[in-house]
Amino acid sequence: MANIEGRLNHVVRMAADEINAKGGVNGRTIEVAVSDPASDWPLYAQVGKQMLEQDKAAALFGCWTSVSRKSVLPVVEQANGLLFYPLHFEGDENSKNIVYVNSPPASSVLPAVDYLMGEDGVSAKRFFMLGSDYVWPRTINKQLKGYWKSKGIAEAAWKEEYVPLGFSNFQTLVNQIRAFADQGGGKPIVVLTVVGSSIPDFLREFANQGIKATDVPVLGLDMVEADLEGLNTEPLVGHLNCWAYLQNAKGAANAAFLKQWANYVKAKNVPFKADVAIDPMVSAYDAVHLWAMAAAKANSFDVPEVRKAFAGLSFDCPSGYKLKMTAENNYVSRGVFIGSVNEKQGFDVLWQSKDASKPVPFSPYG
Amino acid sequence: MRRLLVAVVFVVAACAPTLLSAAEATDRAELIGKLCGDTASLGDAGRALTGIAADGSPDDRAWAAQLARAVIDRKLTCDAKGAAVVLSEGSLDALSRTPRTVSEAGRTPLLSLKNRALFETADAALALRTAPDVARRAAALRTLERQASSLPEHLLEAAVGQESDPALKAQMMAVAQAAALNSPDPAKRIAALGRIAATPDRRALTQVRALLADPAYAANPEFKHAVDAATLTISRGIAVGDALATLYSGLSFASILFMAAIGLAVIFGLMGVINLAQGELIMIGAYITWLVQEVIRQFAPSLLDWYLILAIPVAFVTTAAIGIGLEAVLLRHLYRRPLMSLLATWAVSLFLTNLVRVTFGTQNLNFVTPFYVTGGVPVIGDFIFTWNRMFAIVFAILTLGITWGLMRLTPLGLNIRAVTQNRIMAGCLGIPVRRVDMMAFGLGSGLAGLAGLALAPIYSVNPQMGQNFIIDSFMVVVLGGVGTIVGTVVAALGIGQVNVLIEPLWGAVAAKVIVLLMIIAFLQWRPEGLFAIKGRRK
Repeated sequence: MANIEGRLNHVVRMAADEINAKGGVNGRTIEVAVSDPASDWPLYAQVGKQMLEQDKAAALFGCWTSVSRKSVLPVVEQANGLLFYPLHFEGDENSKNIVYVNSPPASSVLPAVDYLMGEDGVSAKRFFMLGSDYVWPRTINKQLKGYWKSKGIAEAAWKEEYVPLGFSNFQTLVNQIRAFADQGGGKPIVVLTVVGSSIPDFLREFANQGIKATDVPVLGLDMVEADLEGLNTEPLVGHLNCWAYLQNAKGAANAAFLKQWANYVKAKNVPFKADVAIDPMVSAYDAVHLWAMAAAKANSFDVPEVRKAFAGLSFDCPSGYKLKMTAENNYVSRGVFIGSVNEKQGFDVLWQSKDASKPVPFSPYG
Repeated sequence: MRRLLVAVVFVVAACAPTLLSAAEATDRAELIGKLCGDTASLGDAGRALTGIAADGSPDDRAWAAQLARAVIDRKLTCDAKGAAVVLSEGSLDALSRTPRTVSEAGRTPLLSLKNRALFETADAALALRTAPDVARRAAALRTLERQASSLPEHLLEAAVGQESDPALKAQMMAVAQAAALNSPDPAKRIAALGRIAATPDRRALTQVRALLADPAYAANPEFKHAVDAATLTISRGIAVGDALATLYSGLSFASILFMAAIGLAVIFGLMGVINLAQGELIMIGAYITWLVQEVIRQFAPSLLDWYLILAIPVAFVTTAAIGIGLEAVLLRHLYRRPLMSLLATWAVSLFLTNLVRVTFGTQNLNFVTPFYVTGGVPVIGDFIFTWNRMFAIVFAILTLGITWGLMRLTPLGLNIRAVTQNRIMAGCLGIPVRRVDMMAFGLGSGLAGLAGLALAPIYSVNPQMGQNFIIDSFMVVVLGGVGTIVGTVVAALGIGQVNVLIEPLWGAVAAKVIVLLMIIAFLQWRPEGLFAIKGRRK
């Protein structure tokens, strides 16, 4: 498991331990089985099938990229299993066998882009979209273009570029961004949807070419605290991300979660930093609790029974928002934060939504 | 009467200073109130600070400079008693500048992007007027240069008036001149055009192009001429800059490819062993660099900036030792079974990745960025010369020189070349073939370790980093012709440059595909690669 995904494994164990310590669910303790398909996408389907059919797993938690989710989708539908997916993603999917714990674009990306386009943000007028070449960036960018069109923004105001997964040599692309920014015609921003190690490599080159956040802000949609580890973030201060949780979220629930994680890292000697928590970790933690609550409510581990129990569930997320589920679909209402990179390799909360908005699975913008 | 007059004068004299300082104090208190207010009033405060830089008294400016910096660094805390600047040795009240404690409930204002721009301007403007250090003032001028036209009018004039450094003074005058592009005086505008054309980049072009719609362009032939001339100069500058940028990017990518491939060229060329663990040796080189950095941090913090240089011998020797060990323990027994050595090295690569993952964790390592690999210098047009890339290029050239010297000028190199050309014959002549194999494997591994060191300032260092290089480096070695240094250099330069040329046209994904297709086509035509070693076919 790579740098970031490995954390989800441990946080799910932590949540399971927490529930087991309180007596488990329906009189039984949760047992965690782990498999690492190592970003080999077809392998996700195989592993998922194995876990559902041989190990008789009551629920699956995981997948990072949308491609991996898409490859598990037919498996869980066929076996009528449950997959809890902890990442914010492109939406446009509504399976009764997947619980979308994180936000579709309408409740995370669009509010963030709106913020940047507004008076409080930077009144952004021009957009450079840079993404890794797979389904999530392409769908997000398609929806964004539809959104801008609906706002009457001309097509000349944006540019779209993709790089292969794992790409690291961003010199020419940053040159292109500078050329795009200097053309004039309003404030430019970069909507960054590259993933994995491409994120720090891009940011390093961006800073080295002397572009500051006040010149061209980067909205990194997959950028989390862990991506900044190992970077000198002083020249990067001010760049943005948007997630349903940020480590600097205020509130007792977050303080308790961070403490729990730090203790867990220490006790189990987990090879990750005790003082870094990222949104997908919290979402995976929420997911285990949501599942346990639903199973307890249904008094059964049968998927149809558990699914029925989702309606009306609510859970106090470490982010400070109250998560809610309805009978309409398997989406979860989440709040949204916009974070601003600080010099301590973290994100300060620049803006946050008033409450957890009702999720919109299908985007009306293309 | 006279006594009365004296009394009046006395009263006025007594009052004047108190009145003045009172006015000043309310002004400052209001500003602090704004700093602690909402987003909009924070923005007002930023503008007010820039205003102080232009018109304030020296005392005001020094006070404002400290505040602007404190807000940017998030060292300003607002509480019930006003605001305080938190310093390492204690907190100072922002208004009275006396030490005081900060209450726990204090709030640190966070700058939105819009306000951050205002405060960066204010900070630079104040530094331009107050900073004792010339370099700091010059840096401030560079920040202000891009927004010269939106600054308060007297700011640059006042700064020029008090500047002691003649070179910086001239620069300031140039900036002030360029800022007059929209002044009512045509002569000033023409002078400004000349100044703007002196830094020919796309931003300048956009600025000058906007003047084509200016009424003066049609009405004033002199102005029209100046605009056209500036457009031409700038366009030329941009063209030159773009060409240089492409060359530089290509060279930098080539240097990375070369560093990753040179070790492989030695190993693959000599023994025909496809070493799939080469990428992991690169990764280990980077990890050793990090370890050296940590040791220096512990024992000789003053040398910390030079860890990249000091780590060179350590990275080379350690990875070479690992390579020699690998050869002696594992590969020696598999020379006649190429498929097995391929699988064995693959297993080694998995083993090394996971060993590092268990020992160090999976996060990206934190490297200090020394001054010689930080940032870049704008040269001409939009070409920025970045130091971390230059470090890799220089490093690659040095590695090339040393490897070449080793292969051509030393007995070991002679032996290696002999064994590469004809292993059996070399053995018959008394060359210790086994030992040469071992040394060559060590050399190739050591070179991979150096590649890891050179890449540390450019790429993220984590246990997976090696996997990115293995395919690219095989491409270089096969295209260059197995076992030739010249071939490796030429292939790296070619692949790097072609990649960089294609990327802006069709995107990075297409660039990868096209380069691969070109290599396949080329190998159809010349299966031995660019430079095949001449000799008897084995």
